[in-house]
Amino acid sequence: MPITETLKRNYNKLTWTWKPDSDKEAGDAIVKNMLLHWFPNKISKRSLSWNYSFYLGTISFVLFLILTLTGVVLMFLYVPSVERAYSSVKDIEYVISFGWLLRGMHRIAAHLMVAVVFLHMIRVFLTGAYKNGSAVGANRPLNWIIGLVLFVATLLLSFTGYLLPWDQLAYWAITVGTNIASAAPVVGEWIRFLLLGGNTIDQGALIRFYVLHVFFLPVLVLLLFSWHMWRVRKDGGLAIVDHEVLEQKAEKVAPVKSKTYSLLGITNGTTVHVQNTMVDEEKNTVPSSPHLMRRVWLVTAATFVVVVLLTLVFRAPLETAANPSVTPNPAKAPWYFLWLQEIVTITTVQIGSFTINGALIGGVLLPGLLLVLAAWWPYRDKSSINAVGVWFADERRRQNMVFLGIVLLVLLFTVIGTFLRGPYWNFYWPWESWPEMPIKF
Amino acid sequence: MDHKTIKDKLTFVKKDKLIISIIGIAVFLLMGFISYSYMIPEWKSYQSEFKELVEEKFGPERAATVPTGLQQVYVKELNKADRCITCHQGVEWKGLENAPEPFRTHPKEILEKHPVNKFACTTCHGGQGFATDMHDAHGLIKDWEEPVLGRDLGEFYVMSDKKALMQMNCNSCHRYDKSTKGAGYINRAKELVNEKGCRACHVINGRGGTVGPDLTYEGMKSPEQFNYERIKGFHSEFSWQIAHFKNPKESVPETVMPNFNFSSADAQALAMLVMSWKKEHIPIEYIPGHNFRDIPTEEEKEKEERMLKGPGAFFVKKNCFVCHSVSTLGIDAAAQIGPDLAMAVEDVQSRFGRTLDDFLEKPTGTMEVVLSTMITLTPEERKETIEKLRHAYDIYQQQKKDAQLAKGK
Repeated sequence: MPITETLKRNYNKLTWTWKPDSDKEAGDAIVKNMLLHWFPNKISKRSLSWNYSFYLGTISFVLFLILTLTGVVLMFLYVPSVERAYSSVKDIEYVISFGWLLRGMHRIAAHLMVAVVFLHMIRVFLTGAYKNGSAVGANRPLNWIIGLVLFVATLLLSFTGYLLPWDQLAYWAITVGTNIASAAPVVGEWIRFLLLGGNTIDQGALIRFYVLHVFFLPVLVLLLFSWHMWRVRKDGGLAIVDHEVLEQKAEKVAPVKSKTYSLLGITNGTTVHVQNTMVDEEKNTVPSSPHLMRRVWLVTAATFVVVVLLTLVFRAPLETAANPSVTPNPAKAPWYFLWLQEIVTITTVQIGSFTINGALIGGVLLPGLLLVLAAWWPYRDKSSINAVGVWFADERRRQNMVFLGIVLLVLLFTVIGTFLRGPYWNFYWPWESWPEMPIKF
Repeated sequence: MDHKTIKDKLTFVKKDKLIISIIGIAVFLLMGFISYSYMIPEWKSYQSEFKELVEEKFGPERAATVPTGLQQVYVKELNKADRCITCHQGVEWKGLENAPEPFRTHPKEILEKHPVNKFACTTCHGGQGFATDMHDAHGLIKDWEEPVLGRDLGEFYVMSDKKALMQMNCNSCHRYDKSTKGAGYINRAKELVNEKGCRACHVINGRGGTVGPDLTYEGMKSPEQFNYERIKGFHSEFSWQIAHFKNPKESVPETVMPNFNFSSADAQALAMLVMSWKKEHIPIEYIPGHNFRDIPTEEEKEKEERMLKGPGAFFVKKNCFVCHSVSTLGIDAAAQIGPDLAMAVEDVQSRFGRTLDDFLEKPTGTMEVVLSTMITLTPEERKETIEKLRHAYDIYQQQKKDAQLAKGK
């Protein structure tokens, strides 16, 4: 090939027109394209049902989208410096057009995302959706683990964002949070130092949290999310589809004509479409476009409305500017870590001269153990294929009860930590008023 | 597939479409509501009222020059961006001296020396300059510690001069002035500091004794750092300071600070003064006389010299002078609580029926507490004390004799 031709080809590749070198490259491009694989061609009606998935995963993603859009605008307005962070947030609240709305929506969406991702995890567990069905090449346990990492990443995203307003709430929540992290054996102090870029929460910590918050963690979530979605398709869709296939088999009707849409000869293995065709298409599926599309729009718009409404009702607080010499009483971690703070308090016990380190137990060992247990569980769960994609399957009753028990305990401690702990971490019933905190004038 | 099956299969479509429509209307209404609220902020009504006022008073031509939209004073040196003038538009106008607030002209005299573009608003008045609505801007809200120090607050604290609290902010720059025009409360408090000898026990502006806490940056403390258990009524740092000045022992039982029986006004003035002592980064050009130090007067210098280097210096070093004068050795008590020690030799004998030596070795009453906790004397120091007090008594007797002789003559 003459050199001019090669140069031209390469130039063309670099600029607008994409020119696949072969039919295989062109086919691969479509097969590997995440966007083109997000939705299947047809989707079973049961996958669309509200009361199976509650669309919690979709809502999580919509919240992430709202967070990204509002976050990008906020990035133009917020100044990540100790001197100016607080006043730039004040400006966002008072003088930027719709600044309060952007910040409020960002905050509400962040809180909701933590909650919704958690609920999504509960749904997946209770429906046994981390278990493989009949699809060839399915690996749902892996997707469950990706989901767990996404959950932790969501918590970290929220936690790193908590510091940015640089007010008392932010400063002391991060103080409590990072102090809990430093209780990890051997590496604890090091982790704290690494997170804060020093021994105190100062400019070093602010810029680290900022960069993590606006770049590394969102990119991580986006990558993991893509993988998460791709795996859903690879695993044969929602787990309820596997249940549908079983039911269909039990009906003993003539076997469904199995179609494959594999791009013959130009791609390896079986394509995802094969699994979908296991369901009787004519009877039980509808085209994704427009029906799934419409549903996703519906969920997106509904999530948006809920976020805006909550923003109007609960205005984002901004306390006095961060002051390292004044500890608010009580000083609380962000709400989703308050169950841990509660456990830290309960397990900090002095027996004679021996003190049990609550921060180590409640802050490191317990959450670490729960995460490891959660990651391992799909491999331990030996229930049959009948328990895949079914709410509260009889076979999985005991593990569901234990799981729900843990969830309820976490919620209980979160509620106690959030609403019932007052000054000096004393317990107050909702009808008891906290002692009045003094003011300057 | 026949049409009926398709129809059965797609029953959800109608419902979905309905829900989408409802949500669509909700989005429309919400956005409409938010945009509408954006169009009618509180300050816009003040601005149109101001325009009407100007038109009525000065004609439509002047009214046309009234700026619209959010306004702010930005003073980089003081790190201030105050939006107060968005509503208080008449601040620098002539002829609106009698207009109702927020349109009134600012008193001229003080503005000449403190132009708005150099000092902004909140530097003197307090309040939240960031804010663009009245409630937040005036700052009597949770999470804002520097409210407008104006009439409302003055009335709340029953000040005889309702606007006096603002003088606290004068003292940010005028801290080292002996007296500041227009800051009567602060001036009175500064006088009291000298009169009552606060420096005997407290470091103030870098000078003073160490019996009590350093007060140089007392205003930096936060309200949470005070104990309100014994404070009656409203719990604020300001009320704590007032209560403490009125009767120190009542709010802090273990304190050694004497009760000076301050009047309410004096206690308020002192509370304002100590709370004005903040660590602030003020550019030197804002400090009157470019003076960053509290320079003692000649009289103060002379007294300090006498106290620290004169024959009675020992009693200053051991902090006896906080309560006791030793008049014949040139020592003036800071608080005048105990008797003059110049007569201690005969005084102890008449009060306790014991010699001075005996009493200092085994003191009773208040002195038992003082000499076992706050002031401890080694045997050598005790000896020195007795010697010095005898010497002081000798001078006292000599002076008495001289006086009698003079009288006889």
